[in-house]
Amino acid sequence: MGGDTESELDLTFRRDERGIVWITWPRGIHIDGPMAREGMDRLALYNGGRKQPTIVEMVGVAGLTREARQVFTGECCATRMALLGASPVERVIANFALAASRYATPIRFFATEDAAVDWLTRAGPDR
Amino acid sequence: VPDLTAESPDERLDQLVELVVELASGHLGARMPPSEAGDRIDAVTVGLNMLAEELQALSEDLEQRVVERTHQVEQAHRQLERLALYDPLTGLANRTLLADRINQAMTGVDRGAQPPAVLLLDLDGFKVVNDSFGHVVGDRLLVEVARRLQEVVRETDTVARLGGDEFAVVAAATTATRAIEIAGRVQDALKRPIQAGPHQCWVGTSIGIRMAEPGHTAETLLRDADTAMYVAKGQGRGGVRFFEPAMHATALVRVRVAEELRTAISSDQLEMHYQPIVELEGARTVGVEALVRWRHPVRGLLGPEHFIDVAEDTGLVVPLGGWVLDTAITQLARWRAGVLGRAGFAMHVNVSPLELRSPSFAEDVLGRLARARAAATDLVVEITETQLMGEDPQTARTLDTLRSAGVGVAIDDFGSGYSSIGYIRRLFVDTIKIDRSLVSDVDTDPQQHRVAAAILTLVEAFGLTAVAEGVETAAQAEHLRALGCRYGQGYLWGRPVPVEAMTGLLSAAVQEPAPRS
Repeated sequence: MGGDTESELDLTFRRDERGIVWITWPRGIHIDGPMAREGMDRLALYNGGRKQPTIVEMVGVAGLTREARQVFTGECCATRMALLGASPVERVIANFALAASRYATPIRFFATEDAAVDWLTRAGPDR
Repeated sequence: VPDLTAESPDERLDQLVELVVELASGHLGARMPPSEAGDRIDAVTVGLNMLAEELQALSEDLEQRVVERTHQVEQAHRQLERLALYDPLTGLANRTLLADRINQAMTGVDRGAQPPAVLLLDLDGFKVVNDSFGHVVGDRLLVEVARRLQEVVRETDTVARLGGDEFAVVAAATTATRAIEIAGRVQDALKRPIQAGPHQCWVGTSIGIRMAEPGHTAETLLRDADTAMYVAKGQGRGGVRFFEPAMHATALVRVRVAEELRTAISSDQLEMHYQPIVELEGARTVGVEALVRWRHPVRGLLGPEHFIDVAEDTGLVVPLGGWVLDTAITQLARWRAGVLGRAGFAMHVNVSPLELRSPSFAEDVLGRLARARAAATDLVVEITETQLMGEDPQTARTLDTLRSAGVGVAIDDFGSGYSSIGYIRRLFVDTIKIDRSLVSDVDTDPQQHRVAAAILTLVEAFGLTAVAEGVETAAQAEHLRALGCRYGQGYLWGRPVPVEAMTGLLSAAVQEPAPRS
């Protein structure tokens, strides 16, 4: 298990025993462009610049702006990124996030942790 | 799960309907906050919000792109308009825009406004600048001329370049007096030398003016102004003329003369006549003046006064001058090898000021002399006094080169124009030919006698040689001789005659030195 990290944006980072990095967004947040960029920057900082398989916990995320979605299409410090959400709202938001035609990092939405972990660990180090 | 909902699902559905209605009516900024339930209704709400945001962004993008494209199209349009309506070299209006401005002014005339005046001008001597120094210098000259023209007109007037060295000014709502004023300012502006790259150029201009009258079109006004300009040019450089209907016939004649002259030069219609120049004391022939004649198939034998102006305006003066020089020099060599032997003799050839301003002219003359094996010292070039314009440095260089090689220089028709002592003093001439107007009454009019005496004293003082032109009577010859004039030319000794007749005259032995220093 990795340690928790916090800043003014109440983002939580942890690494589990499988080496998967978990990012948890605070409940009810409406993620905009600057927040998305901060999240990506802090992930890179947390990973020490090394790309890791990553799960983004979207439980309780209330919205995602267009600008934020564009940030997620760019380069980030993850080998793969699994968006994990349970509610219909999270599913809708996640699928908007996945709507771009090209991503620098492979990204998918999962409704269960098992499926997400399976996709992240089944892949090689880069895929 | 449902307890978290602040409102009942039905209320949220009502709000969703309102959101859809608002979005549908075009308010793409409309949003609906989801509840904290995070249920399917919230999922639809969030999805709709995000779709609306997407739509809004796309719409704004599109609007932005439309603005950019519109701007680009406008720019392209302006650029096309510039290409279509303005002269790319000088930035002045072109013929199309000028015609448009004239027509606008004429529309105003229909409503009672004062009519415009159209001034048309071209540059005297531009072709020589272009031919001698190249197009780059010619273009710089045109740009500077354009700048000066714009300086002398009002903002409401339009200056246009019609092509080549032809410019036009449309002066809106103008009286004849004002049109003349503008013409005067244009001429003053172009009198100052123009620095075009390394070359200082002198160009004058002749101006034709057409005062518009109701019902005139741009085409008519430009054509008439052009006609008036040609008449102005025909009356000497730097002229200004208003259009008169009678000018049309004159203009047509000039066009025909130009066409026919082109043919004449290439088809042997030109012939050279020679008039003796004699020593007043003893009447011995010491030289001849070569005078070009045109044996016109219909109009008969024509003197240069019938075609020289047209030749200069059309550039035909270059092939014409070449023909004159070649014919005279070749004949000089023949006479020298035959009848003349070693006797002193000079072949006088008239040269156009346009030729003198060509940097290659001196070399060209010397080349022709060398090819014909004729001596430079047997040749005298004659320049008309009235045509020696200003202080053109190229003319001075040409004359200097010719004189260094031994060719003599004579000022023709001295006393007929702005007789300048400067020409005599400036050391680029050897011979002064005194105009016939000063000779005609020298034996009967005491005033003429005194003027002739004064000029001959000056000529003597500067160590030059004088030739009196147009001597018709023995009395005139005697008076001139008594005043110290050494040489004469005129009907008293012979009219210009064809080469065969002149060869016969020369056979009567020529022994004295030619009339030159």
